[in-house]
Amino acid sequence: MSLRQFISAGLLGLLASLALASNAPTPAPAAKAATSSTADHSKFKALQQSFASGPEVTKACLTCHTEAAKQVHKTKHWTWEFMNPDTKQRLGKKNVINNFCTAVPSNYEFCTACHVGYGWKDQNYDFTSENNVDCLACHDTTGTYRKLPGLAGHPTYKDVEFPPKSGKIVKAPDLRAVAQGVGKSSRDTCGSCHFYGGGGDAVKHGDLDSSLKNPGKYLDVHMAKDGLNFTCGECHKTSGHDVPGSRYAVTTVEKEGGHMRGKKDANPATCQACHGGKPHQGEKADRLNAHTAKLACQTCHIPEFARAQPTKMMWDWSTAGKLDKDGKPFKIKDSVGHDAYDSKKGDFRYESNVIPDYVWFNGKVDYTLRETKLDPSKVIEINHFNGSPDDGKSKIWPIKRFVGKQPYDVGSNQLLVFHTYGKDDSALWSNFNWDKAIEFGMKEIGAEYSGKYAFVSTEMSWPITHMVAPKADALACAQCHTGPGRLDKVPGIYMPGRHGNALLDTLGWSFAGLAFLGVVAHGAGRIYTSRKGAEK
Amino acid sequence: MVKLIAGLIAGAAITMALAWNMASGLMFKEVQSPFGLEETVARIQQNIQNTGNGWALAGLRNPAKAVQQDGGNVLPVLMIEACSTKYSKPVLKEDTVRFLSILMPCKISVYKKNDGKVYIGTMNAGLMGRMFGPLVGEVMGQVAEDQKKFLIFDASKPAPKMIEGMPGAASGGGAAGGGGGC
Repeated sequence: MSLRQFISAGLLGLLASLALASNAPTPAPAAKAATSSTADHSKFKALQQSFASGPEVTKACLTCHTEAAKQVHKTKHWTWEFMNPDTKQRLGKKNVINNFCTAVPSNYEFCTACHVGYGWKDQNYDFTSENNVDCLACHDTTGTYRKLPGLAGHPTYKDVEFPPKSGKIVKAPDLRAVAQGVGKSSRDTCGSCHFYGGGGDAVKHGDLDSSLKNPGKYLDVHMAKDGLNFTCGECHKTSGHDVPGSRYAVTTVEKEGGHMRGKKDANPATCQACHGGKPHQGEKADRLNAHTAKLACQTCHIPEFARAQPTKMMWDWSTAGKLDKDGKPFKIKDSVGHDAYDSKKGDFRYESNVIPDYVWFNGKVDYTLRETKLDPSKVIEINHFNGSPDDGKSKIWPIKRFVGKQPYDVGSNQLLVFHTYGKDDSALWSNFNWDKAIEFGMKEIGAEYSGKYAFVSTEMSWPITHMVAPKADALACAQCHTGPGRLDKVPGIYMPGRHGNALLDTLGWSFAGLAFLGVVAHGAGRIYTSRKGAEK
Repeated sequence: MVKLIAGLIAGAAITMALAWNMASGLMFKEVQSPFGLEETVARIQQNIQNTGNGWALAGLRNPAKAVQQDGGNVLPVLMIEACSTKYSKPVLKEDTVRFLSILMPCKISVYKKNDGKVYIGTMNAGLMGRMFGPLVGEVMGQVAEDQKKFLIFDASKPAPKMIEGMPGAASGGGAAGGGGGC
């Protein structure tokens, strides 16, 4: 080994040791990758300055991208609101109560870590402010820009320990470097919120989690690096900052069958947008293509979800608030180290390789909103997927059915909004007092509260559409056409190979029985007559 | 006389056909687990460690992982391997039955099926043992008794942590190596 090699190896070793010793969970800024972009943002004068805050960066971005903030203002990513044109229900994160973390109101500072804006900490947020649009949340390419819960959508501007008391330090991003490195959205930027919905990795969707950052081909043929290597934006083809693909109004059936992408009145994020209406080829193509009239592609091609890591399947808020013998909150882990109980949140159940439930779905979803009167003796559907075998608009879709228990007002029979996070005395996660948390939450939204609460069983459906498996792993015929099969609980279908016709069965067995009796009678007659003959 | 021989042959044929048909059901058992996949594994592992008689965990295989690494999917399967020198030693000492080392270590398979439920698959050690003479029959009879204890669950107790990192745990279908009581 030469002296130069020796010194190089030593330096490398020293650098490696320093890297290992660092507690920082965020990766170091990536080296600038080759890009086909026609602009090098580091050369823009507006970005060659120090930035003290996110809004300052946005102000600089808008000097060139003059229409960007106005476009973002029109999107659900900004408004967190969606008016369903069919049901006339006002939906969106801002309005819906789900059965995960339940509701945004009274918890703005925490939840808005996933808002594409800065400073949303209460009901008085200025949705018209262009400088409050967060460009970096979607366009960071350094991997150092991170918005933490509790900062009202801002990144941390100083190094902080997160989660608190974890010993892990999240470094404040160098906003100038982040601004100069902006680029297209990526799996990392989309995933920083969509992989972690519901309070953690893989919690909410079941088909979206951090394993999609670098999935194997078995997990996702579209996103696998040794497969098609798609980013999210490849399917969710964005136009004017509006990202297509909505779970509030799902495109379940293409109006004109398959279409090519680029059509303005159609959703580019459907399977048919690329694969067309008759996607199968080869020996069984006709038979398989006939299935597409009634089956969503996802039904066969996503045979299970959560195939790389477990997803949360149950959340029981009713047990939240238990403290240990020292009066301190505690956690219990399950067999693979996920939380099975958390004093802040109650009981959980995780599951991997989940077989989906299957439902008829025509894209129309009815929500149980806060105003909706409910029957607490029944399991409340937070959202109901409409559809039937006869409406001509439905297909059989795979879904994740997430169950739980959450508080409702015993007086009004309506779901409750409660205050989970905050530095005040009313937050459930601080004082474990349901009465205070509910009172605060309901006051925040200006709704009446009877003062009495109980817990109601709820379930929420999530369409499964990501994590498409290789075609060899699509459901085989026998997985539906023999009993017990995947579609056993789906009403209104005749399943050849499994379902019988009672009349036809009775007739068939009758004929078989008669034939058997005929054989026996004929044989007996033969024996009888042969004996008679022998006697003579 | 012809009728008698024909009857004997027919009887033997029917018996053989029945035995052929029922053999798989007799040799192997499958029961549904009340727990999730990993929790079932963890509880069985804990039971094995608590059973005594020299039982120790020898490995946890994940053959589904190997399929994933090859770009495919199968529903999860985890195979718990356990061994006890108390039972393996007498069999391994006897030349005439040493070939039964092929059955070591004992395996319990935990898997999910298309109905979404978790099942436990075991070998009927007692019945199999009786096919190989008195020595193996006695040893395997005791193994069968212990195996029953592996599958007695107390749902009131919290789920233990699944024990990974043993030989074979990450290698999919690879070799388990030594240790774990054998």
